[in-house]
Formats: sequence, structure tokens, C-alpha cells
Amino acid sequence: MKHAVLLGNEAIALGLVEQGCRVVTSYPGTPSSEILAGVVRFKRQLGRRVYTEWSVNEKVAFEIALAASWSGLRAAVAMKQVGLNVAADPLFSAAYTGVKGGLVVIPADDPGPYSSQTEQDSRLLALSAKVPVLDPATPIEARAMVEQAFALSERYRLPVILRPTTRLCHALQSMAVDDVSAPDTAIPALRFCREPSRWAATPRHRYQLHVELNEKLRQVEADFARSALNYAIGDGGSHRVGVIASGVAFHMARQALLELGVSVPLLKIGTPYPLPRELVAPFVAGLQTVVVLEEPDACIEYQLPDRSRVRGRLDGTVPTAGELSPEAVCAVLTEVLAEAGYQVNPAPGDPELQALIESLPLPVRKPRLCPGCPHRSTFFALKREFGSDAIFPSDIGCYTLGINLRAVDTCVDMGASVSMADGFYQASRLVGDGRPIVATIGDSTFLHAGLGPLINAVHTGARFLLVILDNHTTAMTGFQPTAASDMAPDGDAAHGAARRVSMADLVRACGVAFVRVADPYDYQAFRSALNEASRHSQAPEGGVAVVIADHACVLYDPSLLRQNPAPVMVTGWCDGCGFCVEAFECPALTLRPDGSRVDIDDRVCVACGQCIHACYKGFIVPHTAEIVRVGP
Amino acid sequence: MSQHLSYIPDPIGLNLILAGLGGQGVIFITRLLARTAAAIGQPVIASEVHGMSQRGGSVISHLKIGGNSEAPLIRRGTADLLLALESDEALRNLLFLRRGGVAVVDAEQGPPPEVAEHLARLNIQVLSVPATRMAVGLGSAAVSNVVLVGFVAAHPFLAFSIEALKETLALVGHRGHELNQQALEAGYRAGRLRLSPALPWELTQSEKFRSREANLVTTHSLRQSTEESR
Repeated sequence: MKHAVLLGNEAIALGLVEQGCRVVTSYPGTPSSEILAGVVRFKRQLGRRVYTEWSVNEKVAFEIALAASWSGLRAAVAMKQVGLNVAADPLFSAAYTGVKGGLVVIPADDPGPYSSQTEQDSRLLALSAKVPVLDPATPIEARAMVEQAFALSERYRLPVILRPTTRLCHALQSMAVDDVSAPDTAIPALRFCREPSRWAATPRHRYQLHVELNEKLRQVEADFARSALNYAIGDGGSHRVGVIASGVAFHMARQALLELGVSVPLLKIGTPYPLPRELVAPFVAGLQTVVVLEEPDACIEYQLPDRSRVRGRLDGTVPTAGELSPEAVCAVLTEVLAEAGYQVNPAPGDPELQALIESLPLPVRKPRLCPGCPHRSTFFALKREFGSDAIFPSDIGCYTLGINLRAVDTCVDMGASVSMADGFYQASRLVGDGRPIVATIGDSTFLHAGLGPLINAVHTGARFLLVILDNHTTAMTGFQPTAASDMAPDGDAAHGAARRVSMADLVRACGVAFVRVADPYDYQAFRSALNEASRHSQAPEGGVAVVIADHACVLYDPSLLRQNPAPVMVTGWCDGCGFCVEAFECPALTLRPDGSRVDIDDRVCVACGQCIHACYKGFIVPHTAEIVRVGP
Repeated sequence: MSQHLSYIPDPIGLNLILAGLGGQGVIFITRLLARTAAAIGQPVIASEVHGMSQRGGSVISHLKIGGNSEAPLIRRGTADLLLALESDEALRNLLFLRRGGVAVVDAEQGPPPEVAEHLARLNIQVLSVPATRMAVGLGSAAVSNVVLVGFVAAHPFLAFSIEALKETLALVGHRGHELNQQALEAGYRAGRLRLSPALPWELTQSEKFRSREANLVTTHSLRQSTEESR
């Protein structure tokens, strides 16, 4: 292996394994999910001993890695940016206590956003937590920065954040991988050493630790001013305008300047917090105007001591929401450079063609649940059972797409479906709103943050129906294991089966009196479970009722479909009413453009047979049935 | 505007946009092309879309081969090639192409006449390839993406050797290996026939006949399956 094409996340994973990281934990979330999977792959390829796990949530993942660090080992924890909110508590604390073995925290930000509920900037959380940040611009640099991050973490005994963004995580780049076959070194016999004033610090000691942290940051900033991670490029001539950029925006700015045909100084910042002001201030002072390009929010810009000459997000020059596209970067630079009297190349592309394309009636392609998805069957049954009157709090996962079936009314954050249902119940009782409340949550999400809210709801006597969509895996992010699935904790099949926790037992242990496990593919039985549950939640002695919709994701485990295919056909009676297309929303069901009838697209259909229930007129039938054609 | 007719954003690199729908294999062919380029010593940077968008939505990859920029995204109006696995996704992404760029689209027909006319003025060529039909003829519509890659490999812009692509395909395509190789080959042959008809070409008369036969079989089986679903 001389050259490999690696995803940014895989490059980070390779960096972790190369640098002798011994414990890596994570909770899946786009765009971070390939990091731990990469570590599992590379540790096997390179024969390194690394403990890896998909933890139950990001806070747990952080603390597992922290304990490894306090034992003297190098450790890392990866998550998506909103996962760092969940892990913020230990992050803030660990900045004070510090670490022993190097600890690298990898929160992946999602400008756009592409797969997240916010565009928050982890660098700003780091600023608030007082944790240094490295900001890589390419997969190659991300891999190299892992080494810098561990060295920094160990020199100052601080957790260090390595912050990639979506476009880096999911960038593919070719890189040399010659030097990775070095044999594993022996793991030194390190162990946790008691030091209560640090590892169990009380508020009095915490004050001392805060003073110590501030001093560490002062030194880190001085180090960063001399770091090779920050450098300026340009032709050395005198210029009126300059650019400061970090992360992927650096290469976007570089490419934009080439395309605009302008050569102005460009300062690359690889260490956005603490910002090396000693380095940046003279760069700014020598120019009339400085543009700051960074994602997803302002961080370098906030830290600039003198912003009088600075154009960026804070003065509205750079769009304050959304990803920095090449078009956006070029537009910003064109505006500022033109104001300063530079001649720039006009934008390529043809406005007339753009107008023409925009006038075409191109279909909007929104994401949909896959054909055969058991969530679709669940949502369809929920809508039929509870009608359009019910309140449907839901959660984070594939099943958020239940919004297309109008069976998802709220989506806040991991686990919120249960507490929102609780809250809707308490609020509706005050105002005498008797609508049914039906919450949906995935198996992985329930284990992540649903248990606490469920205990709360039982304790406060809330009455609602909770449907746990148990598809046996974390599907949205690529089939990572959950604590209730039968895969090993790091998803590595070589480790054999895992100790599973029972979802039904967990729910019962929370104090829920009504628990049913039902297969949403079995329409009638599932409907009656819902009905029973709903009656329980309304009965005088009732409370929260839980139905576990138990059916494996058809992409994760297609064996059931393969063993029991249920091909269907649309009979000639179909009158094209379109109910199934609307209410069931399977990608395989299409209404003819003339509205005459519905067809099943054989290229898409997986023969799950579930749409039979979606035609209340009975015109979708098993393919084997004998149909007398009397229709038109 | 005339001074921009010859404007090529990256004189040494090749900018490709790959577009399609979730599940059609956009990411697969992005990796196939990226790894092939890397294997023949070209620097590569590409950008994929994962997560929510993979569930049936529009999917687009940016791929830069051999250039000197490490920015993962391609600016509108600066792509050399657009590979589209579906005709609406092709139209949606036409604006990425530079003047003189080429779109290769899995489609039975060309773009709407008013668009075609405008593209001709911009010297943008659209090549419609019946890749899905060819793939169904080979046994599965799922390999239409590989058929299209085979076709593009014959285009002088890319000029990948079919052997290099086959080698990478053998490494990345663990499932349906045989079919993938056939799809690549079929696409490549169609590309050679279409793009360089004047070149001396190894396809014999009998092979041509066989491929026509294959097309007939395809049309027949397509019709059959449509009737069954009624």
C-alpha cells in the first residue's frame, strides 16, 4: 500500500492509530460516523491494540476516554457537533482537571446544515470551555494534526479539540501511506494514580485549577504564534486587502483567489483557539481591509483585538448562515476586492442558462424512508389508529422522515420525544386539551437519552403512548450497534455477539405498567397493540404505555424479506385516487402523470407487501391472487 | 463575454461533478474514479454527501483529479465533466459545466430543445447514454452507474485506461463483481463507438451484431416486466 484514497474521517482514524492512541470511543452521528469505524479497520490492518466502542451516548463516550487518559493512555472521542453538547459537562470539567495521557476530542461540525438540527460552531464551545482547538483544512492535514493534538495535550495536560467539518469529514483525498506498517510498541504499564486535589477537586481546588488553566492557555497561545500550523501565502508585494481563513475555507479562499486572478496575502490559521494574536495582529495592521473566512460561525473574528478593518460574519459581509460554497466565497472576495480597486475576473457561467434551468419544472427530491422500511408501516398504523388529531412528538433518526407521512410533529434533540410528550401532557391537562399524544423514538436514541425522560414521565403520572421503533441497529448513520443489538460494542463481527440489554425489561424497570412488543409488519396485531396501549394510557389507573415496534431495518438485515417475499400488484380496479402514494409514501408507488392509476416500480420495490394495507379499497393485492378483471 | 470562451479554471486538473439519486451509486463511482486516478499517480480530492440525503434525495459528488487545488468543491461554471445517473439531476447540475464542458447522462433522450439550443451556444456537449437499458440487458439496472463510468472512460477528457478501472473495480466492488466488470466493458465499448468512430476499433462485425441482439432482448424483457406489474 503506497497511496490510498481516504475519507477525511478515515484519515483522522489512521492518524489516531498511527499515533498510538489506545482508547477510542464515539456515538454515531453524521458527519463523524466513519472515524471509529476507521479506527476499527486500521487497528486490525496495522496490528495495533486499541480499545474501541460505540458508547451509549457522547457523555459516556467522553468519560470512558477521559478515564483512559487519567490512567496515562492516549485516548480520543469522536462525535458530531451536537454530540459535544451532550458531552459538554465532562468537557468543561476536564479542561480544569486536565489530563494525563493525551486526550483528543473530535467534534465534527456541519455547516449547511446537511444532517443536523443546528449549525453551531464547536470552536465557540471550546472557547467557552477554555480548550485549545486545531482546525484542519484537508484530510491529509487532519491526519497530521492528530500528532500535533496529542503532543499539545500531553505538554499542557489539557484536552485538545480537533475540529473537522462535513466537507473535510466526507472529502476523499489521495495520500501516501507508506509509513504505517511500523510494529506496535509495547503498552507501558501505566495506571491511574490518586491525586484527589485534581481528579476529585472540590470548589476550593477548582479555583486553583482555573488559575492554572488560564496560565496554560496563555502559554498555548504563545506556542501557537510560533506554530507551523499557521502560515501566510502571497507574492510578498504590498497589498491593501488580505484574507484570514481556517479549515476547508482556507483552500476555498485560495482557489477563489486563483479564479479571480488576484494575488493578495492569505493567512492560514490552523489554531483558531486560543488565537495567536501576536501573529495575527501585525498581519491585520499591515492591510486596509482583512476578510475572515471560517466555518460555521465566527470564532477567529471574535478574538481579533481590533476589528475596525475586518470584514466577516459580524458585519454581514460573509453570509451568517449556511455553508461557504465556492460561489459564496467568490462573491464575498469579489465585493471586497472591487471596493479596494482590484480588477477581478467575472464569474463564469451563463445567467441566461441559469434562468432557463430555474424555469424548468424539476421535481424536488426530498429524502424518504426506504422501500420496505418498518418505520413506514409503524407510522401508517399510527395515523390510521389515532387520526390527524393526535400530537406526534418524535426524535432524531431515519424516522424523522415520518414527517412526510404527517406522523412527526416535533423534533428537538436526542431523547426529546419522551420529555416533550410528557410536557405536552402536562400542558394539555391545564388547558383541557384531550388530544391523544403518541411519541416515537428509535432504539439507539431511546438508549442514548430516552430513559431519563421515561422515568420522569412515569413518576409524574403523565399519560401518553410511546412507540419505540426498534430496528435492531443505528440505521441512519450506517448500522452501528446499540446496547440492545447483538453486535459487539465496536461493531466488529470478529468479536462475536454482545451482551444485550433487553428493551422491554428496561422499559418495565422504569416503572411502565403496559409494555407490548409487536411487529409493525403484522398490521392487524400491531394495530390492536396500539389500541390496547392507548386504552391503558386513558384508563383511571393507567399511565405511560409503551409499544416496542420490533422489526429489523431491511437494509441492515434483508434476510426476512429474502425468505418471505410478498410481491404485490395493483389491480385493474385502481382508480388513481392516490391515497397510497400520499399516505404510505413508498418510493416504489407512483401515480401516473395522467392520474389514471398507480404503478409499482419493480426496480425499487422490495416485495415487502406492506402497501396492501395502504389501499383501503383493496386494489393492491398479493401478486399470486387470482383476480377477475372486470374493471376498465 | 468572448474573452471567457477559452476560460479553463484549472489548466492541469480535471473537475468532475457526479450526480444522481440516493441509492443509485453516486458515491460508489466517485470512489471508483478517485481510486483509479490515485492508482495512476494523480492527486485527487473529492467531496461526498452522506446521511439524510442518501435516503432517496438528490446526491452530488465533486471530484478533482490532477489539479493543484485542495478545495473539495467545484465552483459553478468551472466543471469539465458532468456525470449524471438521471436526466432531471443532469439538468439541475448543468450550471456546474464550463463552456466547452461535457455532460454524460443516463437517458434515452437529450435535454429539452430550448436547453439543448442554449447549451450548443455555450459549446457544452450533452451525451445521452441508455446506461440503465444496457444495465438491464446485462442483468441488473443497479450497474447502470458502472456502465456510465465505462462510457466516460472512453472520453478524451478522462482517458483512463480501461485496465486501470477494471483493477480498481476488482478492489472496490466486492458484490456482483462479474456483472460490474461486464457493465464497465459494455459502457467502454459504447463510449469508444460513439466518441471515436473514426478510430480503428477492435469491435468485430459479429460483436456488433451480438450487442444489437442484446438490446433486442432488453427491450423485450422490459416490456414483459411492465406488463406483469399491471
